[in-house]
Amino acid sequence: MPRWGMVIDVKRCIACWGCTIACKEEHFLPPGVFWNRILIGETGKFPSSRKLIYPILCNHCSDAACVEACPTGATYVRVDGIVAVDDKKCVGCRACLVSCPYQQRTYYDQTVKDREYFPGQGKTAMELIGEKLYPFKLGTVIKCNFCMERLEEGMKKGLVPGRDEDASPACVNICPVNARIFGDLDDPDSVVSRLIMEKKGKQLKKEFGTEPAVYYID
Amino acid sequence: MKDKIDDLEKNMFPSDGTGLKPYEWMVRPTAQTQWIDDKGLFLWLAFFSSEIGAGLYFMSLFHEYRPGIILGWLITLILGGTIHVLYLGNPFRAWRMIMKPNTSELSRGVWIIGIFALLGFFQMTSQGGFNIVFNFIMGILCLLIISHGFVTMNVIRALPAWSSTMVLPLSLISGIWVGSQLLQMMFVMGGSGVLASGMEVWAKVFFLIYLICVLLYVWGTYHADKIAKESIVIQLKGKLSQIFYIGVGGVGLVIPALLILIMWEGNINGFLLFLRLIAVLVGDLALRYTIMKSAVYKPLF
Ligand code: SF4
Ligand code: SF4
Repeated sequence: MPRWGMVIDVKRCIACWGCTIACKEEHFLPPGVFWNRILIGETGKFPSSRKLIYPILCNHCSDAACVEACPTGATYVRVDGIVAVDDKKCVGCRACLVSCPYQQRTYYDQTVKDREYFPGQGKTAMELIGEKLYPFKLGTVIKCNFCMERLEEGMKKGLVPGRDEDASPACVNICPVNARIFGDLDDPDSVVSRLIMEKKGKQLKKEFGTEPAVYYID
Repeated sequence: MKDKIDDLEKNMFPSDGTGLKPYEWMVRPTAQTQWIDDKGLFLWLAFFSSEIGAGLYFMSLFHEYRPGIILGWLITLILGGTIHVLYLGNPFRAWRMIMKPNTSELSRGVWIIGIFALLGFFQMTSQGGFNIVFNFIMGILCLLIISHGFVTMNVIRALPAWSSTMVLPLSLISGIWVGSQLLQMMFVMGGSGVLASGMEVWAKVFFLIYLICVLLYVWGTYHADKIAKESIVIQLKGKLSQIFYIGVGGVGLVIPALLILIMWEGNINGFLLFLRLIAVLVGDLALRYTIMKSAVYKPLF
Protein backbone atom coordinates (compact mmCIF):
# COMPACT_ATOMS: atom_id res chain seq x y z
CA MET A 1 0.00 0.00 0.00
CA PRO A 2 1.43 3.44 -0.87
CA ARG A 3 1.76 6.24 1.68
CA TRP A 4 0.94 9.47 -0.08
CA GLY A 5 3.01 12.53 0.50
CA MET A 6 4.04 15.78 -1.11
CA VAL A 7 7.24 17.65 -1.73
CA ILE A 8 7.09 21.41 -2.19
CA ASP A 9 10.00 23.23 -3.77
CA VAL A 10 9.92 26.67 -2.17
CA LYS A 11 12.53 28.00 -4.57
CA ARG A 12 10.24 27.32 -7.49
CA CYS A 13 7.06 28.71 -5.94
CA ILE A 14 6.21 32.13 -7.33
CA ALA A 15 3.24 32.75 -5.01
CA CYS A 16 0.73 32.85 -7.86
CA TRP A 17 -2.03 31.49 -5.55
CA GLY A 18 -3.04 28.99 -8.24
CA CYS A 19 -3.11 26.12 -5.73
CA THR A 20 -5.27 28.11 -3.30
CA ILE A 21 -7.84 28.82 -6.00
CA ALA A 22 -7.72 25.35 -7.57
CA CYS A 23 -8.37 23.84 -4.14
CA LYS A 24 -11.30 26.18 -3.51
CA GLU A 25 -12.74 25.24 -6.89
CA GLU A 26 -12.20 21.51 -6.45
CA HIS A 27 -13.94 21.38 -3.07
CA PHE A 28 -16.30 24.35 -3.50
CA LEU A 29 -14.95 25.94 -0.33
CA PRO A 30 -17.01 28.85 1.03
CA PRO A 31 -15.56 32.34 1.57
CA GLY A 32 -13.00 32.45 4.36
CA VAL A 33 -12.20 28.74 4.15
CA PHE A 34 -8.79 27.77 2.81
CA TRP A 35 -7.31 24.31 2.62
CA ASN A 36 -4.28 25.71 0.86
CA ARG A 37 -2.54 28.90 1.80
CA ILE A 38 0.54 30.76 0.71
CA LEU A 39 2.47 32.01 3.63
CA ILE A 40 4.71 34.96 2.93
CA GLY A 41 7.21 35.94 5.57
CA GLU A 42 10.58 37.49 6.07
CA THR A 43 13.64 36.59 8.06
CA GLY A 44 16.64 38.68 8.93
CA LYS A 45 17.09 42.44 8.68
CA PHE A 46 17.65 44.61 5.62
CA PRO A 47 19.95 44.40 3.65
CA SER A 48 20.41 40.72 4.46
CA SER A 49 16.70 39.96 4.83
CA ARG A 50 15.13 37.03 2.99
CA LYS A 51 11.62 36.74 1.72
CA LEU A 52 10.13 33.32 2.33
CA ILE A 53 7.20 31.83 0.45
CA TYR A 54 5.67 28.67 1.82
CA PRO A 55 2.60 27.02 0.35
CA ILE A 56 0.86 25.43 3.32
CA LEU A 57 -1.73 22.67 3.50
CA CYS A 58 -2.67 19.85 5.86
CA ASN A 59 0.47 17.79 6.35
CA HIS A 60 -1.33 14.46 6.63
CA CYS A 61 0.85 13.73 9.62
CA SER A 62 1.50 10.08 10.43
CA ASP A 63 1.51 10.92 14.15
CA ALA A 64 -1.20 13.54 13.82
CA ALA A 65 -2.12 15.72 16.78
CA CYS A 66 -5.68 15.94 15.44
CA VAL A 67 -6.09 12.16 15.45
CA GLU A 68 -4.74 11.97 18.99
CA ALA A 69 -7.25 14.59 20.15
CA CYS A 70 -10.38 13.28 18.44
CA PRO A 71 -12.70 11.67 21.04
CA THR A 72 -14.81 9.73 18.56
CA GLY A 73 -12.32 8.37 16.05
CA ALA A 74 -13.90 10.59 13.38
CA THR A 75 -10.46 11.87 12.43
CA TYR A 76 -8.27 8.97 11.43
CA VAL A 77 -5.22 8.04 9.39
CA ARG A 78 -6.12 5.88 6.41
CA VAL A 79 -3.87 3.03 5.33
CA ASP A 80 -2.58 5.22 2.50
CA GLY A 81 -1.49 7.88 5.02
CA ILE A 82 -4.24 10.38 4.25
CA VAL A 83 -5.72 11.94 7.39
CA ALA A 84 -9.46 12.02 6.82
CA VAL A 85 -12.58 13.07 8.74
CA ASP A 86 -15.64 10.83 8.87
CA ASP A 87 -18.43 13.38 9.16
CA LYS A 88 -20.88 10.73 10.39
CA LYS A 89 -18.78 10.24 13.50
CA CYS A 90 -17.70 13.86 14.06
CA VAL A 91 -19.42 15.55 17.02
CA GLY A 92 -18.03 19.00 16.34
CA CYS A 93 -16.07 19.27 19.59
CA ARG A 94 -13.19 20.96 17.71
CA ALA A 95 -10.50 19.27 19.78
CA CYS A 96 -8.77 18.41 16.51
CA LEU A 97 -8.98 21.98 15.31
CA VAL A 98 -7.42 23.36 18.46
CA SER A 99 -4.75 20.62 18.52
CA CYS A 100 -3.39 21.04 15.00
CA PRO A 101 -0.09 22.93 15.27
CA TYR A 102 -0.49 23.97 11.65
CA GLN A 103 -4.01 25.41 12.07
CA GLN A 104 -5.31 23.52 9.08
CA ARG A 105 -8.87 22.79 10.13
CA THR A 106 -12.13 24.72 9.85
CA TYR A 107 -15.36 24.28 11.76
CA TYR A 108 -18.20 24.21 9.28
CA ASP A 109 -21.34 25.72 10.79
CA GLN A 110 -24.33 27.68 9.56
CA THR A 111 -22.38 30.98 9.60
CA VAL A 112 -19.74 29.55 7.29
CA LYS A 113 -22.36 27.90 5.11
CA ASP A 114 -24.32 31.14 4.74
CA ARG A 115 -21.38 33.20 3.52
CA GLU A 116 -21.71 34.43 -0.05
CA TYR A 117 -18.90 35.31 -2.40
CA PHE A 118 -20.87 38.41 -3.34
CA PRO A 119 -22.35 39.53 -0.02
CA GLY A 120 -25.98 40.51 -0.15
CA GLN A 121 -26.41 39.38 -3.74
CA GLY A 122 -27.29 35.75 -3.08
CA LYS A 123 -25.26 32.68 -3.88
CA THR A 124 -23.93 32.23 -7.38
CA ALA A 125 -24.85 29.16 -9.45
CA MET A 126 -21.36 27.83 -8.78
CA GLU A 127 -21.84 28.07 -5.01
CA LEU A 128 -25.24 26.39 -5.20
CA ILE A 129 -23.95 23.55 -7.36
CA GLY A 130 -21.06 23.14 -4.94
CA GLU A 131 -23.44 22.60 -2.04
CA LYS A 132 -25.01 19.72 -3.96
CA LEU A 133 -21.90 18.19 -5.51
CA TYR A 134 -19.58 18.50 -2.54
CA PRO A 135 -21.75 18.89 0.55
CA PHE A 136 -20.25 19.42 3.98
CA LYS A 137 -22.10 18.36 7.09
CA LEU A 138 -23.06 21.19 9.45
CA GLY A 139 -21.39 21.14 12.84
CA THR A 140 -18.37 19.15 11.71
CA VAL A 141 -14.75 19.96 11.03
CA ILE A 142 -13.39 20.05 7.49
CA LYS A 143 -9.88 20.05 6.08
CA CYS A 144 -7.68 19.19 3.09
CA ASN A 145 -8.01 15.53 2.13
CA PHE A 146 -5.25 15.34 -0.51
CA CYS A 147 -8.13 15.20 -3.04
CA MET A 148 -8.70 11.59 -2.01
CA GLU A 149 -11.76 11.28 -4.24
CA ARG A 150 -9.66 12.19 -7.30
CA LEU A 151 -6.96 9.75 -6.24
CA GLU A 152 -9.43 6.91 -5.75
CA GLU A 153 -11.30 7.55 -9.01
CA GLY A 154 -8.06 7.86 -10.93
CA MET A 155 -6.57 4.70 -9.48
CA LYS A 156 -9.73 2.78 -10.38
CA LYS A 157 -8.94 3.72 -13.97
CA GLY A 158 -5.40 2.46 -13.59
CA LEU A 159 -3.87 5.94 -13.36
CA VAL A 160 -0.94 6.76 -11.09
CA PRO A 161 -1.24 9.55 -8.49
CA GLY A 162 1.50 12.11 -8.92
CA ARG A 163 2.01 11.18 -12.56
CA ASP A 164 -1.46 11.37 -14.08
CA GLU A 165 -3.51 14.51 -13.60
CA ASP A 166 -6.78 12.68 -13.12
CA ALA A 167 -5.34 10.85 -10.14
CA SER A 168 -3.46 13.75 -8.53
CA PRO A 169 -4.46 16.55 -6.16
CA ALA A 170 -5.81 19.71 -7.81
CA CYS A 171 -3.09 21.90 -6.29
CA VAL A 172 -0.40 19.72 -7.84
CA ASN A 173 -2.05 19.82 -11.27
CA ILE A 174 -2.50 23.57 -11.35
CA CYS A 175 1.02 24.56 -10.26
CA PRO A 176 2.58 26.33 -13.27
CA VAL A 177 6.15 25.85 -12.09
CA ASN A 178 5.86 22.26 -10.81
CA ALA A 179 6.69 23.37 -7.29
CA ARG A 180 4.45 20.59 -5.93
CA ILE A 181 5.35 16.96 -6.44
CA PHE A 182 3.05 14.20 -5.23
CA GLY A 183 3.83 10.53 -4.75
CA ASP A 184 4.46 7.49 -2.61
CA LEU A 185 6.72 8.11 0.38
CA ASP A 186 7.09 4.39 1.04
CA ASP A 187 8.57 3.72 -2.39
CA PRO A 188 12.28 4.57 -2.19
CA ASP A 189 12.41 5.02 -5.96
CA SER A 190 9.50 7.47 -6.20
CA VAL A 191 10.28 11.05 -7.25
CA VAL A 192 9.15 12.36 -3.86
CA SER A 193 11.37 9.94 -1.90
CA ARG A 194 14.38 10.77 -4.07
CA LEU A 195 13.84 14.51 -3.76
CA ILE A 196 13.55 14.24 0.02
CA MET A 197 16.77 12.23 0.15
CA GLU A 198 18.78 14.30 -2.30
CA LYS A 199 17.62 17.75 -1.25
CA LYS A 200 17.22 16.98 2.44
CA GLY A 201 13.50 17.65 2.61
CA LYS A 202 12.34 19.45 5.73
CA GLN A 203 9.10 19.01 7.62
CA LEU A 204 7.40 22.00 9.22
CA LYS A 205 7.38 22.35 13.00
CA LYS A 206 9.14 19.04 13.45
CA GLU A 207 9.40 19.71 17.18
CA PHE A 208 5.72 18.82 17.64
CA GLY A 209 6.50 15.23 16.69
CA THR A 210 3.63 14.96 14.23
CA GLU A 211 5.67 13.43 11.37
CA PRO A 212 4.22 15.42 8.46
CA ALA A 213 3.95 13.82 5.03
CA VAL A 214 4.56 17.17 3.35
CA TYR A 215 8.22 18.02 2.85
CA TYR A 216 9.83 21.29 1.79
CA ILE A 217 12.98 21.59 -0.31
CA ASP A 218 14.90 24.58 -1.56
CA MET B 1 -16.95 52.31 -2.27
CA LYS B 2 -14.72 52.03 0.80
CA ASP B 3 -17.66 50.53 2.74
CA LYS B 4 -18.15 47.95 0.03
CA ILE B 5 -14.49 46.99 0.13
CA ASP B 6 -14.64 46.72 3.93
CA ASP B 7 -17.75 44.53 3.67
CA LEU B 8 -16.08 42.30 1.15
CA GLU B 9 -12.98 41.99 3.29
CA LYS B 10 -15.07 41.11 6.35
CA ASN B 11 -16.89 38.46 4.33
CA MET B 12 -13.77 36.92 2.86
CA PHE B 13 -11.72 37.07 6.01
CA PRO B 14 -14.13 36.99 8.98
CA SER B 15 -12.72 37.86 12.36
CA ASP B 16 -13.62 34.45 13.83
CA GLY B 17 -10.23 32.91 13.15
CA THR B 18 -11.18 31.48 9.78
CA GLY B 19 -10.59 35.03 8.69
CA LEU B 20 -6.84 35.41 8.74
CA LYS B 21 -5.71 36.38 5.30
CA PRO B 22 -4.04 33.34 3.75
CA TYR B 23 -0.65 35.01 3.66
CA GLU B 24 -0.86 36.03 7.31
CA TRP B 25 -1.32 32.45 8.44
CA MET B 26 1.39 31.34 10.84
CA VAL B 27 3.52 34.44 10.16
CA ARG B 28 3.04 35.65 13.73
CA PRO B 29 1.65 33.97 16.86
CA THR B 30 -2.08 33.51 16.31
CA ALA B 31 -4.60 32.94 19.05
CA GLN B 32 -6.81 29.90 19.31
CA THR B 33 -10.42 31.08 19.16
CA GLN B 34 -12.54 27.95 18.88
CA TRP B 35 -12.47 27.09 22.55
CA ILE B 36 -13.22 30.55 23.89
CA ASP B 37 -15.00 32.77 21.34
CA ASP B 38 -18.66 32.60 20.32
CA LYS B 39 -19.95 29.12 21.20
CA GLY B 40 -16.54 28.38 22.70
CA LEU B 41 -17.66 30.45 25.70
CA PHE B 42 -19.91 27.53 26.61
CA LEU B 43 -16.87 25.32 26.95
CA TRP B 44 -15.25 27.82 29.32
CA LEU B 45 -18.43 27.84 31.45
CA ALA B 46 -18.82 24.06 31.20
CA PHE B 47 -15.28 23.38 32.46
CA PHE B 48 -15.87 25.91 35.25
CA SER B 49 -19.22 24.38 36.31
CA SER B 50 -17.85 20.86 36.41
CA GLU B 51 -14.91 22.11 38.43
CA ILE B 52 -16.94 23.93 41.09
CA GLY B 53 -19.49 21.11 41.36
CA ALA B 54 -16.81 18.47 41.81
CA GLY B 55 -14.91 20.80 44.18
CA LEU B 56 -17.96 21.15 46.40
CA TYR B 57 -18.58 17.39 46.33
CA PHE B 58 -14.94 16.75 47.22
CA MET B 59 -14.96 19.09 50.20
CA SER B 60 -18.35 17.77 51.39
CA LEU B 61 -16.90 14.25 51.55
CA PHE B 62 -14.62 15.30 54.42
CA HIS B 63 -17.64 16.43 56.41
CA GLU B 64 -19.93 13.67 55.10
CA TYR B 65 -22.33 16.51 54.37
CA ARG B 66 -25.17 15.22 52.22
CA PRO B 67 -26.63 18.59 51.02
CA GLY B 68 -23.11 19.51 49.79
CA ILE B 69 -22.66 16.35 47.77
CA ILE B 70 -26.18 16.63 46.34
CA LEU B 71 -25.59 20.21 45.21
CA GLY B 72 -22.09 19.36 43.91
CA TRP B 73 -23.48 16.40 42.00
CA LEU B 74 -26.25 18.54 40.48
CA ILE B 75 -23.91 21.39 39.50
CA THR B 76 -21.47 18.98 37.86
CA LEU B 77 -24.06 17.02 35.95
CA ILE B 78 -26.98 19.32 35.29
CA LEU B 79 -25.19 22.64 34.89
CA GLY B 80 -21.90 21.28 33.50
CA GLY B 81 -23.67 18.70 31.34
CA THR B 82 -26.20 21.16 29.92
CA ILE B 83 -23.54 23.70 29.05
CA HIS B 84 -21.40 21.01 27.42
CA VAL B 85 -24.40 20.03 25.30
CA LEU B 86 -25.00 23.69 24.38
CA TYR B 87 -21.43 23.82 23.14
CA LEU B 88 -21.81 20.67 21.05
CA GLY B 89 -25.23 21.79 19.87
CA ASN B 90 -26.72 18.30 19.93
CA PRO B 91 -27.38 16.11 23.03
CA PHE B 92 -26.95 12.87 21.12
CA ARG B 93 -23.45 13.74 20.07
CA ALA B 94 -21.83 12.99 23.44
CA TRP B 95 -22.79 9.33 23.00
CA ARG B 96 -20.26 8.98 20.23
CA MET B 97 -17.52 9.97 22.67
CA ILE B 98 -18.63 7.29 25.13
CA MET B 99 -18.19 4.64 22.47
CA LYS B 100 -14.48 5.45 22.10
CA PRO B 101 -12.98 5.70 25.61
CA ASN B 102 -9.50 4.87 24.37
CA THR B 103 -9.26 7.72 21.88
CA SER B 104 -8.64 10.91 23.80
CA GLU B 105 -8.77 12.91 26.99
CA LEU B 106 -12.22 14.25 26.12
CA SER B 107 -13.81 10.81 25.82
CA ARG B 108 -12.11 9.60 29.00
CA GLY B 109 -13.60 12.68 30.70
CA VAL B 110 -17.09 11.72 29.56
CA TRP B 111 -16.56 8.26 31.08
CA ILE B 112 -15.33 9.67 34.37
CA ILE B 113 -18.35 11.97 34.57
CA GLY B 114 -20.61 8.99 33.81
CA ILE B 115 -19.08 6.88 36.60
CA PHE B 116 -19.22 9.87 38.96
CA ALA B 117 -22.92 10.32 38.15
CA LEU B 118 -23.71 6.69 38.91
CA LEU B 119 -21.62 6.22 42.05
CA GLY B 120 -22.55 9.68 43.32
CA PHE B 121 -26.20 8.80 43.01
CA PHE B 122 -25.65 5.62 45.08
CA GLN B 123 -23.73 7.57 47.70
CA MET B 124 -26.44 10.19 48.00
CA THR B 125 -29.28 7.74 48.25
CA SER B 126 -27.84 4.86 50.30
CA GLN B 127 -27.65 4.83 54.08
CA GLY B 128 -24.10 3.55 54.42
CA GLY B 129 -22.82 5.68 51.53
CA PHE B 130 -20.21 7.50 53.57
CA ASN B 131 -17.77 4.67 54.22
CA ILE B 132 -14.06 5.12 53.77
CA VAL B 133 -13.80 3.11 50.54
CA PHE B 134 -16.69 4.92 48.88
CA ASN B 135 -15.38 8.31 50.02
CA PHE B 136 -11.93 7.49 48.69
CA ILE B 137 -13.26 6.44 45.26
CA MET B 138 -15.51 9.48 45.02
CA GLY B 139 -12.64 11.73 46.12
CA ILE B 140 -10.47 10.44 43.27
CA LEU B 141 -13.31 10.87 40.78
CA CYS B 142 -13.88 14.44 41.99
CA LEU B 143 -10.21 15.30 41.54
CA LEU B 144 -10.30 13.85 38.01
CA ILE B 145 -13.37 15.92 37.16
CA ILE B 146 -11.94 19.08 38.72
CA SER B 147 -8.87 18.77 36.53
CA HIS B 148 -10.69 17.43 33.46
CA GLY B 149 -10.95 20.77 31.62
CA PHE B 150 -7.35 21.73 32.13
CA VAL B 151 -6.10 18.18 31.44
CA THR B 152 -7.93 18.30 28.10
CA MET B 153 -6.14 21.58 27.37
CA ASN B 154 -2.84 20.43 28.86
CA VAL B 155 -2.38 17.59 26.36
CA ILE B 156 -2.63 19.97 23.40
CA ARG B 157 1.00 20.29 22.37
CA ALA B 158 0.24 22.94 19.77
CA LEU B 159 -0.48 25.55 22.44
CA PRO B 160 2.52 25.82 24.77
CA ALA B 161 0.70 28.04 27.28
CA TRP B 162 -1.68 25.17 27.98
CA SER B 163 1.06 22.56 28.17
CA SER B 164 2.67 24.42 31.07
CA THR B 165 3.45 22.12 34.01
CA MET B 166 1.64 24.41 36.44
CA VAL B 167 -1.71 24.15 34.66
CA LEU B 168 -2.66 20.92 36.44
CA PRO B 169 -1.79 21.84 40.02
CA LEU B 170 -3.49 25.18 39.43
CA SER B 171 -6.70 23.54 38.25
CA LEU B 172 -6.75 21.15 41.22
CA ILE B 173 -6.24 23.80 43.85
CA SER B 174 -8.68 26.21 42.24
CA GLY B 175 -11.39 23.51 42.26
CA ILE B 176 -10.71 22.70 45.90
CA TRP B 177 -10.54 26.39 46.87
CA VAL B 178 -13.83 27.24 45.17
CA GLY B 179 -15.45 24.05 46.53
CA SER B 180 -14.39 24.86 50.08
CA GLN B 181 -15.84 28.37 49.79
CA LEU B 182 -19.15 27.01 48.53
CA LEU B 183 -19.29 24.50 51.36
CA GLN B 184 -18.45 27.12 53.98
CA MET B 185 -21.30 29.27 52.66
CA MET B 186 -23.66 26.29 52.79
CA PHE B 187 -22.71 25.70 56.43
CA VAL B 188 -23.50 29.33 57.24
CA MET B 189 -26.82 29.18 55.43
CA GLY B 190 -27.66 25.87 57.12
CA GLY B 191 -26.99 27.37 60.55
CA SER B 192 -23.82 25.33 61.20
CA GLY B 193 -21.75 28.31 62.34
CA VAL B 194 -19.23 26.17 64.22
CA LEU B 195 -18.44 24.10 61.16
CA ALA B 196 -18.19 27.23 59.00
CA SER B 197 -15.87 28.83 61.50
CA GLY B 198 -13.73 25.68 61.65
CA MET B 199 -13.30 25.79 57.89
CA GLU B 200 -11.68 29.22 58.08
CA VAL B 201 -8.32 27.58 58.86
CA TRP B 202 -8.59 25.67 55.61
CA ALA B 203 -9.57 28.83 53.75
CA LYS B 204 -6.21 30.34 54.74
CA VAL B 205 -4.32 27.24 53.63
CA PHE B 206 -6.15 26.81 50.33
CA PHE B 207 -5.91 30.47 49.48
CA LEU B 208 -2.18 30.49 50.10
CA ILE B 209 -1.64 27.43 47.89
CA TYR B 210 -3.88 28.95 45.21
CA LEU B 211 -1.92 32.21 45.29
CA ILE B 212 1.40 30.35 45.00
CA CYS B 213 0.07 28.26 42.10
CA VAL B 214 -1.13 31.37 40.20
CA LEU B 215 2.27 33.01 40.67
CA LEU B 216 4.12 29.84 39.70
CA TYR B 217 1.90 29.42 36.64
CA VAL B 218 2.70 32.95 35.46
CA TRP B 219 6.40 32.65 36.24
CA GLY B 220 6.79 29.09 34.92
CA THR B 221 4.89 29.69 31.69
CA TYR B 222 6.77 32.94 31.07
CA HIS B 223 10.05 31.06 31.27
CA ALA B 224 8.89 27.87 29.52
CA ASP B 225 9.45 28.93 25.91
CA LYS B 226 9.09 31.85 23.52
CA ILE B 227 5.50 31.13 22.56
CA ALA B 228 4.31 30.35 26.08
CA LYS B 229 5.93 33.63 27.11
CA GLU B 230 3.91 35.39 24.41
CA SER B 231 0.70 34.16 26.09
CA ILE B 232 1.78 35.54 29.45
CA VAL B 233 2.69 38.86 27.82
CA ILE B 234 -0.85 38.98 26.37
CA GLN B 235 -2.21 38.39 29.89
CA LEU B 236 0.00 40.90 31.63
CA LYS B 237 0.51 43.62 29.05
CA GLY B 238 -1.75 42.87 26.11
CA LYS B 239 -5.46 42.89 25.47
CA LEU B 240 -6.22 40.65 28.45
CA SER B 241 -4.36 42.75 31.00
CA GLN B 242 -7.50 44.42 32.37
CA ILE B 243 -9.21 41.08 32.97
CA PHE B 244 -6.02 39.72 34.49
CA TYR B 245 -5.32 42.58 36.87
CA ILE B 246 -8.91 43.36 37.83
CA GLY B 247 -10.48 39.89 37.58
CA VAL B 248 -7.68 37.52 38.57
CA GLY B 249 -5.57 39.88 40.69
CA GLY B 250 -8.02 42.32 42.25
CA VAL B 251 -11.19 40.28 42.61
CA GLY B 252 -9.73 36.78 42.76
CA LEU B 253 -6.71 37.41 44.98
CA VAL B 254 -6.72 40.80 46.73
CA ILE B 255 -10.35 40.80 47.93
CA PRO B 256 -10.23 37.23 49.33
CA ALA B 257 -6.87 38.05 50.96
CA LEU B 258 -8.36 41.12 52.65
CA LEU B 259 -11.42 39.19 53.80
CA ILE B 260 -9.22 36.42 55.19
CA LEU B 261 -7.28 39.02 57.15
CA ILE B 262 -10.49 40.62 58.46
CA MET B 263 -11.74 37.21 59.66
CA TRP B 264 -8.29 36.05 60.76
CA GLU B 265 -9.29 35.22 64.33
CA GLY B 266 -12.03 32.88 63.10
CA ASN B 267 -14.78 35.43 63.83
CA ILE B 268 -16.61 34.77 60.60
CA ASN B 269 -19.38 36.90 59.17
CA GLY B 270 -22.01 35.59 56.76
CA PHE B 271 -21.97 38.66 54.54
CA LEU B 272 -18.18 38.74 54.30
CA LEU B 273 -18.13 35.02 53.50
CA PHE B 274 -20.69 35.62 50.77
CA LEU B 275 -18.56 38.46 49.36
CA ARG B 276 -15.50 36.23 49.41
CA LEU B 277 -17.37 33.43 47.64
CA ILE B 278 -18.45 35.79 44.85
CA ALA B 279 -14.91 37.15 44.55
CA VAL B 280 -13.45 33.63 44.39
CA LEU B 281 -15.95 32.55 41.72
CA VAL B 282 -15.33 35.66 39.60
CA GLY B 283 -11.56 35.33 40.04
CA ASP B 284 -11.62 31.70 38.98
CA LEU B 285 -13.73 32.49 35.93
CA ALA B 286 -11.37 35.31 34.99
CA LEU B 287 -8.32 33.09 35.44
CA ARG B 288 -9.78 30.36 33.23
CA TYR B 289 -10.79 32.94 30.65
CA THR B 290 -7.33 34.50 30.42
CA ILE B 291 -5.62 31.11 30.21
CA MET B 292 -7.97 29.91 27.47
CA LYS B 293 -7.99 33.17 25.55
CA SER B 294 -4.28 33.90 25.62
CA ALA B 295 -3.11 30.61 24.10
CA VAL B 296 -1.29 31.21 20.82
CA TYR B 297 0.14 29.00 18.12
CA LYS B 298 3.76 29.07 17.14
CA PRO B 299 4.38 30.89 13.87
CA LEU B 300 6.48 29.33 11.16
CA PHE B 301 9.28 31.88 10.99
S1 SF4 C 1 -1.55 19.15 9.64
FE1 SF4 C 1 -2.97 19.30 11.35
S2 SF4 C 1 -4.92 18.62 10.52
FE2 SF4 C 1 -3.35 17.91 9.11
S3 SF4 C 1 -2.85 15.83 9.83
FE3 SF4 C 1 -1.36 17.22 10.78
S4 SF4 C 1 -2.26 17.69 12.78
FE4 SF4 C 1 -3.93 16.86 11.49
S1 SF4 D 1 -14.56 17.98 15.84
FE1 SF4 D 1 -15.03 15.97 14.97
S2 SF4 D 1 -13.15 15.28 13.99
FE2 SF4 D 1 -12.63 16.97 15.36
S3 SF4 D 1 -12.04 16.03 17.31
FE3 SF4 D 1 -14.22 16.50 17.50
S4 SF4 D 1 -15.25 14.64 16.79
FE4 SF4 D 1 -13.12 14.46 16.09
